[in-house]
Amino acid sequence: MTPDRHRSAVITFPNELEVVITREFDAPIALVFDVLRKPEHVSKWGATPPDRMTECSIDLRVGGNYRSSFVTGDGTVFSFSGIYLEVEPPVRTVETWHFNCWPDVEAVETMELQERDGVTTFNWRLVFRDKAGRDHMTGFDGQQDSLDEIEDILRSLLDPSRA
Amino acid sequence: MVARASTTSDVFNAVGDVHRRAILDVLLTGEKAVGAIVGDVSMSQPQVSRHLRVLGEVGLVKCRAEGRRRLYRLAPEQLQPMQDWVAKYERAINDRLDRIEDYLEVLQRQGDDRDT
Repeated sequence: MTPDRHRSAVITFPNELEVVITREFDAPIALVFDVLRKPEHVSKWGATPPDRMTECSIDLRVGGNYRSSFVTGDGTVFSFSGIYLEVEPPVRTVETWHFNCWPDVEAVETMELQERDGVTTFNWRLVFRDKAGRDHMTGFDGQQDSLDEIEDILRSLLDPSRA
Repeated sequence: MVARASTTSDVFNAVGDVHRRAILDVLLTGEKAVGAIVGDVSMSQPQVSRHLRVLGEVGLVKCRAEGRRRLYRLAPEQLQPMQDWVAKYERAINDRLDRIEDYLEVLQRQGDDRDT
């Protein structure tokens, strides 16, 4: 059996507006794509306990909407939503990205998959419209409360419908 | 959300500026005087001095006098809060990706069972 690749995600901030995450999976590209983009799969791995997914809809076509919602252990509700701009199974989707806690932030995310020798590389890129948007991810004041708040937000950043 | 701290009291805000990051990058190669830093970045000396003051106030840059020159050097241990922050972030993202991996393995095992 292939050893797992836990903890192997590479997270980079290549410039002022982008966040990029890459990770390899030992599975064929078509299966990885389905697991990342079909609601019946996403609902299986989407929420980080004790969070629960309460909604997961994915209309996977250009112009189609997606939305996923979560409730945290303390009852806070958060959701991600957007519209698909490009859909090319099993290699690529591009979609707008809205997070309900950051109503002013506009971003576009791109998910790309590439298979080589049975290993599928996942590349996820979130590009914020302006630096103020990206700063939501870096602007914090060092206080524990905010740290916890940001941790919660970041924990959910990799939205399951578009992980 | 607690009000954001001022630029000069928070390492995150201090390195949030692209010019200050450029100065830190220059200091990675070793201790330097202001003039040498100015030569390596596309900024005026007053600009560099202003950014050095901010970096100094959050402890990221230390300064010592050598004769009439003032030499600046990196104090990278002050970046620890950022490293802690990124570690939390990485853990969160890895948790999610690890769950995907585990789920993929379950699916593939089920597929293998059906094939045999």
